[in-house]
Order: sequence, then C-alpha cells, then structure tokens
Amino acid sequence: MGEFKVHRVRFFDYMPTAIRAMAFNAHTERLALARMDGSVEIFNFTDHYFQEKVIPGKDSRSIESLCWVGGRLFSAGLNGEIAEYDLENLRPKYSLEAYGGPIWTIISNTQGTQLAIGCEDGTVKLFEVLEEHIQFERNLDRQKGRIISLSWHPSGTHIAAGMMDMIRVFDVPTGHAVQRLLVDRGFGGSKSRETVVWSVAFLSDHTVVSGDSAGKVQVWDGHTGTLVKTHLVTKWDVLALSVSKDESSVVAGTSEGTVIQFQFIAPTLHQQQDKEWVRTRTFKNHTHDVRALAEIETAIVSGGMDTHLVVRPLLEKFDEKSHASGLRKIHFPHVIANNINLSCAKKAGLLLFQFPGQLELWRLGDSDEHGKPGDRLPLKRKPEKLLLLKRKGEDHICCSALSSCGGWLAYSTVSSVRIYRLQTDNNNISITKVSKLPKALHSAHQLCFSSDSSKMFAASSQSSVLVIALTQSECKYVHTLKPKSGSRQPIHLMTTSGDGKWLAAANSDCEIHVYNLQKLKLHCIVPVYGSCPSAMGIHPTTNNMTVVHADQQLFEYSIVEKQYTDWSRKLQKQGLHNVWLDRDTPVTHVTFNSKNPNQVVLHDMHMFCIIDQMFIHPCPCHNGLIGFSGLFYNQMTLRSLSEQERPSHLHAFKICKTFQVSLLFLASLLDDQSLVVVERPLLAITSQLPAPVRQKKFAT
Amino acid sequence: SKIGFLAFIAMAINCTAGIEVLVAAPERYLGVKSPSSSNKFNSANMTDDFQLHLDSSDDDAPEEVTFEESKASALRSMKNALETSKREKDLLKEKRRKRQELFQEQKKRRLLPAHILEEIDTDPSKNGPLMTHASCFSLKGNYSVMRVADQSSSNSQQQTAMDFIQARLYGPGSQRTTNNELLSLQNKRGPNKSAAMQFVNKKWAKAEKLKKQWIQKQKVPSS
Repeated sequence: MGEFKVHRVRFFDYMPTAIRAMAFNAHTERLALARMDGSVEIFNFTDHYFQEKVIPGKDSRSIESLCWVGGRLFSAGLNGEIAEYDLENLRPKYSLEAYGGPIWTIISNTQGTQLAIGCEDGTVKLFEVLEEHIQFERNLDRQKGRIISLSWHPSGTHIAAGMMDMIRVFDVPTGHAVQRLLVDRGFGGSKSRETVVWSVAFLSDHTVVSGDSAGKVQVWDGHTGTLVKTHLVTKWDVLALSVSKDESSVVAGTSEGTVIQFQFIAPTLHQQQDKEWVRTRTFKNHTHDVRALAEIETAIVSGGMDTHLVVRPLLEKFDEKSHASGLRKIHFPHVIANNINLSCAKKAGLLLFQFPGQLELWRLGDSDEHGKPGDRLPLKRKPEKLLLLKRKGEDHICCSALSSCGGWLAYSTVSSVRIYRLQTDNNNISITKVSKLPKALHSAHQLCFSSDSSKMFAASSQSSVLVIALTQSECKYVHTLKPKSGSRQPIHLMTTSGDGKWLAAANSDCEIHVYNLQKLKLHCIVPVYGSCPSAMGIHPTTNNMTVVHADQQLFEYSIVEKQYTDWSRKLQKQGLHNVWLDRDTPVTHVTFNSKNPNQVVLHDMHMFCIIDQMFIHPCPCHNGLIGFSGLFYNQMTLRSLSEQERPSHLHAFKICKTFQVSLLFLASLLDDQSLVVVERPLLAITSQLPAPVRQKKFAT
Repeated sequence: SKIGFLAFIAMAINCTAGIEVLVAAPERYLGVKSPSSSNKFNSANMTDDFQLHLDSSDDDAPEEVTFEESKASALRSMKNALETSKREKDLLKEKRRKRQELFQEQKKRRLLPAHILEEIDTDPSKNGPLMTHASCFSLKGNYSVMRVADQSSSNSQQQTAMDFIQARLYGPGSQRTTNNELLSLQNKRGPNKSAAMQFVNKKWAKAEKLKKQWIQKQKVPSS
C-alpha cells in the first residue's frame, strides 16, 4: 500500500455556528436552515440529506425565523427586515423594512397568499404575497407587549400569538383580538420573571398548544379560551414546537437538549375513551438548547446551540429496519466542494483556511526525519501563519481558492470577487491585489485555478463558468462556458484536469458538464445519476473522472472516450459494500497519487480511504457479488495474517478510521508524496459552544 | 392681547356706570355722589367711597360727565393696559434671549476649539475612510468611544431585543453551567468512566487553572 509521511494539521480553528431556525417544505422536500451568523442552508431530504446550497451570511443580517411560501423562502430577523432569497443565485433577492422594530417570527397561511410577522412593538403585520415581491397589507390590533411567536389556523381565519405572560387569538378579517389566554408564571424564583411564550401551534380543531419559558407545554381550547391540560416537561425553557402534518403529534424542544413528543391518542385502552394529548416519547440527541424543530412525515428534525442537525426517524413509520430508519446526525456544515473551507497548494505546501470573515494562509511545517508507521516525527520547521486577510464589507466570504503553485489567491462574496497575487521569497510574503477585474466577474459560487495557474474559473449564474486568463499581475476575461441544458441551478463542484485540457462542473440538478478548455466549448455531459455528486476529481494522467455521489455511489468516467470505464462497470456490477454505503457523511474530496496511478484518495468527514484499482476482482467464495471479503475494515487483521493468506483478504478499499472523534477536513497528497490531513477535534469545538444548562446528576 | 382688549371694551360698555364712578372718584372729595351706580359695584373700595359719599351732602345733583370725557378716560385705561402687557411680553422675550445666549455659551465651551474643527472640515478625504472604519475603539483606562450617528434608533432596538433574549436564556436565573462540566459529566457517567475534564485533558487543566487564578484576582481587592 505504501507508507506516507503525514502532516497532521490541527491549527484550523473551524467553529460552526448555532442553528436558530428551520422550515421544511413538504412539496419540494427541502429543509431550510438558518444559523446565527445569518447564513441559510438548504438540505435535500430526498437525496440522503445532502447539503445542496449555502447562502452566506451578512454582518447586519440576523435571522430569527424562516418560512416557505410555495418554492419561495422568506426570513425575518431582529434588524426589522423581511428578506426573500434567490435560491438559484444563492443570495437575498431583496429585503423589506417592516417598520415594526425587531421581528421575532414569520409565518404564512396554508393557502400561500399572506405572510404574518410578529414584531417587537406589539403589532402583527400582514403582508400580501405577490408574484415578484410582497406588499404590506395591514396591521392587526396592536398589543401592549412584544409578539414572540405566531401560528396560523389552517383555515386562515385566526392567528394565535404568543406574547409575554399570555397568548392572544386574533380574528384575521377584522384584526381584533378575540381571546386572551393567560399563561401562569413558573414557581419559586422564576415567579418574578414574566413567562415568555416561545412557541405556539394552532390546530384545525381550534386547539392551541403553547411552549413557554417556565418549561410547560399547555393545551388550550381556542374557542372558549380555557386551559385544557398542562404538561411540565422541563425546569428550563421550552423553546420550539412543531406539529405533524396530520396533527396527531406535536414535538417540543427544550433548553436541556431534549425533544419531547406528544400524541393525540386515547390514554388508556378502554373503549369509548376520549382522545387527548399525551406525552409519549423523549429524545435526547443534543447537549445544548434545541431552538429549531420540524416534524416531517417520517422523522423529527432538530437543531440548536450545539450546531448539530439531527434527523431522528420515527420507527413506527418504517416497516423494516433499514439504513433509512437509523438515526442520522449531520454534524456540521459539511464541505460540499473540493475547496469550500480549505484549499491546498500542492506544489507549494501551503494551506488556505476560509472563515466567514477572513482567510488564513499557512505554510506547513517540515521534518527531515524518518520513522516507522505510527511514529511522531520531530519538526525541523514549525507550521507558520503567513497571512491573515480580512474581508471588506459586510457580506461573508462564500468561496475561496488557492492556486497549486501558491502564487494566486481569490475569494468571493455575494457582491464582489477579489484576486490577489502572492509572492514568497523564503521568509517574506508579499500580497498585491489585482485591481482591474473583468466586469462580468462580480460574484462566484465556486472558484478554481487551473493546475498551471494560467487560468481561473468562476462559477456564475445559471450554471455557467467564466474563464479568466491570468498573466503576471492582471486578469482578462476570456470566455463564458454555458451548459446546453439551460439549467438555472448554481454550480457547487468544479475541477480541472492536470494537463489543463478539461474542466468539469456539477450543479444542484445533478448534471455534470465537461468542457474542452482548448476549444472553449462543451465536450460532453455525464449521464445524469439520481443523486447529487458530492466530490469529483480528474486523474492527472488517464483523464478519468472519479465522481462520488451523496448516496455514496462511486463512478469513474473516461472523459476522452465519453463513457464509463471498465473498472467502474465492474464495480457497479459487483456493488459497493454495505458498510461503505451506510456511511453518514458524504465524500468531500477526491485526489490522486502521482507516484502510483492506480490509487485514488478520498475522504469524508470521519475517514479517509485509498482505493487501489488493482484489487477489484471477483472473489469466487462470495458468489461473485461482492469484490471484497467479509470484513471491510480489516487493516489490523491483514497485518496479523501471514504473507500467503493476505491476497485472499485484500480488497481495493483501504480505510483509515483514526478520525472518529474529529472532523476531517482534508486528506490530500502533496507533490512531495507526503499526506496532509487537516482535522478538528470535536472536543475543541464543544469547548467553545455557549453555556449548557446545569444538570445535577446523582453521584457526580 | 387682542382678546384682552376686546374683553376690556366689553367690560367698559357694560359698566359705564362703574367708570363714571371711577372717573367721579377723585371728585368725591368735592362731594359728588351717584347712589344708583353703587349697586353695580360691590367691592370693598366702593363701600368705602360710598361711606364717604354718605358723609358728604346727599342733596347735590350728580356731576355731569360728558360722553367725550368718559370715552377718553376709557381709551386711556385701555392704552395703559395694552402697554403693561406689551412691557411684560418684552420682559419675557428679554429673559428668553438671555437664557438662549447662556446655553450657546455653555455649548461653545463644550465643543472643541475652532481651529481643530476647521482642520477636520477642510480635509474630508483624509478623514473619510477613517470615519467609516473607525466606529469603536478604546482609550486608555475603561473608556470607549462610539459615534453617536451610528447608534440609530433601529440599531438600539435591535440591541435591546438581543439583550432580552440573551438575558432570558443566559442571564441571571437561567441556571447555566460550563462546557467543562458537561463533558466531565459525560466522562463520569459514560460506559468507560473517567474523571472530570481538567484531570483527563491537559488543555482543560490549564484552562481551569487560569480560571481559578482569575477568580482569585477578582476576590483579592474586595477582601
């Protein structure tokens, strides 16, 4: 297999942001997630929860609540503005000042014709949803306290508003408050504090369910304004509520990190018993507050201050135990492109770390020593931070790139692109900004340099790619590569070949286009596979493109011949091992070993794997179905076997799983044959999270 | 003042008899009386005069006062009244002007000296970028400087809302603890039980030590 000198990089101070709000669109099966830094992520729930799109945040933008109207996404925040997002160009379409002070919540009616927002000044404002924008309609009766949460009755006639110490029910056509439900304060010390009704849910039978800061989930009769049942579920706050589509289940998220389910069932098995809301299950999947919750058809999705997105399938909805019914914990915004958070200049041994507010350029350390596998080599030269580049303006950085020679650096926000020329002479580094950029280049979803650093590629709107030629210190626009399909979706993956002849671009419609860079036109389109590609790489010598998809399927496509390679067909025939297919995180990076052309190095967030294409062959003792022996992770056993026994147990996929307790951001081979592994221990991330609640446990 | 004038005229027309009495008053020492008008005015002064009237002879005919005379005296009194009100207004205006001047003086004292202001005014290019980037920087000691223009009302509302949520979730009464404790609990209750984080992990040990030192430092000045 080979021994590698490994640079273990642990100085990437990646810190994810907490999840603040989420909204599930049942028609398109997409989940929109808002984080505390103002960024919005879209997950495709039909494609293995793949993180399809990321809209970067902005300093002045705060998001408190998200809402779908048809295929349109709206958000509202404490800056008093409602924003609509352009999901094809990954940026806000417009934002509208609501003039009600900070906005706490935004909801839409089931018909999709109106939006309602709850404001700090006590008004509930109604907006009409028009074709291209929204328009203010009217205010409901103004109340004396802030409106923290809202819920629209499915018929559209009434709105329940959660405020301080009370819930108000409004009649929408007249705008008057028709009911006032008084919420008790907590007991003991919290009696002096007002109870905040963090969340309300209005059901079709006019039942109102509320979750408040005293830790209660209360069920009210919306017609008479009386309290039906109180459930005290936690000592801390109940921060979020979500109702299932058929209104038989309500889930509540708490500050403790638990998600509690209530179901509308008959409490005992006697006949003729009335149904009521009974507390059934408790899920503890989070360590910190759960602030966003969505109950979808077959699962409960929760997210909060510990930044995890957890999808907990409801087992009664599945007929048999399968991979789909297992708990999926999507740790952190995973890297969905070759270089979204991290770029590696292979020839120069430089690393570029991308943060929302800045870029850091590091030079790797060096060691002259040699040793046995597992040894830690002493450093001759420590890794050093060469450059810290802060972004200009309020928009967060959405993508960045570093050329492999280390001479060019580029980053883009939603409003601008900046390209810099880097010059390193031994210990000094100088950076100069390229001042005149082509007019067509105003923002990019992905950036990529050609391997000889003569060209830069920028993924622009409608799946097109701008080709920019780089000379000594300036950039010139050359051409725009357009796909034939006319797709309007953004590109999320781009890769170039080592010889500079080919460029492959993948978009959210699962299309992969390959362009001929010498003729500057479309060469071919890879047959569309149902799942979105999560990583791509072009082999430096054979020009075979390896593509890994969100469902963990792996293909190898020959660009020159415009068809899948034999190896790929063999692999598909035999099928991938179940352990490979059951992995939680998608593969995020594909790279190659220049010394050994048979090897493909790929990694996901927890493991990296070297595929040796020499070893794929049918094994007679396994019915020719699986090319591997029974045990998938058998590195240890291989070592313990004798030389004669080994060949029958060898298989192509060699996995290294030392990164279970960290996040693996990059595993790549440098030109000098050493391996760079950038990891972030989970413990380091947990130590920087906000304070959790104090739980007293016996005997600790 | 117009209203006052009109009211005065009205009073004058209604009480011509009274005015006759007034006009006649200095002549009482000459022994004039008018018993019919004394019924209209019942002030203490009038009773005094009435007494004097009674003292004087009752048989004389009332003094004849011409219309012109009484008109002239009425006009005179009106003019006097107008003048007093005007004087009062002028006095008030004067007072207000003086107060305004005083305020201007105080304000001038608080502003920077004129030459510095001039410097800033004449060099907008130099200070432009400075103004847009430098919005918050700290001076020696515990002071910080912020531009008033940046603190627009919407910003302060947003800040209030953020403070509200921060106080409710993390403020007093929220019963929070540290991540150290959370992980230590996980260690102690997990399948492979081990000690608290500061004893297991070197970095946590250092952090705990620093925290304790800092707490000690805070306590010393008060003890």
